[in-house]
Amino acid sequence: MHLRIYRFNPDTDTQPRMQDYDITPEASDKKLLDVLVRLKSVDDSLSFRRSCREGICGSDAMNINGRNGLACLQSLDELKQPVVLRPLPGFPVIRDLIVDMTLFFAHYHSIKPYLINPESPPERERLQTPEQRERLNGLYECILCACCSAFCPSFWWNPDKFIGPAGLLQAYRFIADSRDTATAERLDYLDDVYRLYRCRTIMNCTEVCPKGLSPSHAIEQIRLALLKQSS
Amino acid sequence: MRTPSSTPLKFLNLWQIRFPIGAIASIAHRVSGVLLLIALPLLASVLARSLQSPAEFDALRAAAASTSGTLILALATWALAHHVLAGIRHLLMDIGIGSGLAQARRSARAALIAAPIIALYVLVRGLW
Amino acid sequence: MVRLFSGQRAWVAQRFTAVMLLAAVLAGVAWLLLGEPLDYARWRALVTTPVGAVLTVLVFAMLAVHGWVGARDIVLDYVQPRGLRLALLGAILLILAATLIRVVLVLATHGAT
Ligand code: HEM
Ligand code: HEM
Ligand code: SF4
Ligand code: SF4
Ligand code: FES
Repeated sequence: MHLRIYRFNPDTDTQPRMQDYDITPEASDKKLLDVLVRLKSVDDSLSFRRSCREGICGSDAMNINGRNGLACLQSLDELKQPVVLRPLPGFPVIRDLIVDMTLFFAHYHSIKPYLINPESPPERERLQTPEQRERLNGLYECILCACCSAFCPSFWWNPDKFIGPAGLLQAYRFIADSRDTATAERLDYLDDVYRLYRCRTIMNCTEVCPKGLSPSHAIEQIRLALLKQSS
Repeated sequence: MRTPSSTPLKFLNLWQIRFPIGAIASIAHRVSGVLLLIALPLLASVLARSLQSPAEFDALRAAAASTSGTLILALATWALAHHVLAGIRHLLMDIGIGSGLAQARRSARAALIAAPIIALYVLVRGLW
Repeated sequence: MVRLFSGQRAWVAQRFTAVMLLAAVLAGVAWLLLGEPLDYARWRALVTTPVGAVLTVLVFAMLAVHGWVGARDIVLDYVQPRGLRLALLGAILLILAATLIRVVLVLATHGAT
């Protein structure tokens, strides 16, 4: 198996370079991450993040053959060779495939990713009808891997001001939650040329989400909720 | 070694990124929008000249029928056709019609294919 | 910074003018394809009657608003230096306004005769 991997060591390099690797996967290697882990045992200078190896932690997002995805969910038999791996586009590179997620998480925190409800909680829990719970499907599953935001052209141009598809999907997760009472404030915060309205419905986000979610649909719902609020 | 104060290194070489069909329809919508924007002051000029006299009107028509005129008109037709088709797509998707990934891919492809065909028609037939 | 059209208002204006322009484009294409062959008299009759002139000005006004929101979005995406950005936005605004004024003047002078 032939791979070309983006290499950059901040201590020694001024420019990134592409390094070729040839490796024979073992029969037990099913996903791209398995091969990367094997590569690292040969060349321990190769750096990438991973943890759960099953699409839950969101740490091994990278650009695989020109598209963002999770190495741990990428089947080897679906990959064209050479397998070209680069860091998430538009994010500051720390080393090799590791990028700086500071800004990404700052956007996430800016949308107040927790339930806001000043009423005193009931004895046991805040109940939801099955229909109310149903509205959170397709939203709560987001693992904040940043595949979407790092594939969004609008996020590339304004990464400091546009919240990006991941943050907006999370924002809608709380707007849609029947137990949250801060919908109006949340919408007011989002009504901004940059925060929400940089999105041009390109749908690159939905194209690459490894969890099959649709941030563009969440954004569409936020815009419609804003429309309803102001009319 | 890079000093920490220099602008951070990023990978953002657009030629090395594989764009989905929706992104291509989208950038074409933007390019066509800019072309139409550039055409706007020219359109006002054409309007002014066309009303001056029958002779000016016919001169404009002759210019439009010339080779370069036809090419410019064909380009403008592509721009308008793509922009309108992709625009209708956007307006429908805004209210939740066809905003699923599979349908959005199909409508993006349809707009990208239909607009050049309409432009080709104008190139071959002329507008009137 | 530039709040001439902000957030939702710009987005709604863009969609509203898009729908209006769609109607205008469809009407224009139908007029070209279905009517008699285009000539000076027919053209003049279309744009210089009071109703035609008002509609033409309205279409150009829609174009100016729609084009402004679109151009502003493009500048906000690709042009980050503040001075250059303001200069570009100013130039675009000026050109659009001048175009609109020109159309009004042209139709006012020709409509009178
Ligand atoms: C001494 C016993 C146990 C220890 C030390 C232990 C430890 C852990 C740890 C560290 C995690 C990961 C937590 C996280 O991802 O945040 C976990 C997850 C989990 N454990 Fe255990 N566990 C124990 C017993 C059990 C038992 C008895 C069951 C089932 C009957 C169980 C079911 C689960 C499940 C379903 C998860 C996944 C939760 C999730 O998806 O977030 N565990 N456990
Ligand atoms: C004929 C003159 C027109 C001009 C000069 C024009 C110009 C523009 C420009 C410059 C943009 C910004 C593109 C971008 O942000 O990428 C835009 C966006 C848009 N236009 Fe037009 N346009 C015209 C006609 C139309 C028509 C007839 C429609 C209706 C179908 C339409 C629908 C749209 C829509 C929906 C958007 C927003 C798309 C988005 O969110 O990215 N336009 N237009
Ligand atoms: S929406 Fe999908 S791609 Fe985006 S961060 Fe969440 S899981 Fe990752
Ligand atoms: S739909 Fe919006 S958020 Fe998603 S990639 Fe496109 S511009 Fe970005
Ligand atoms: S390693 Fe956790 S998502 Fe891939």
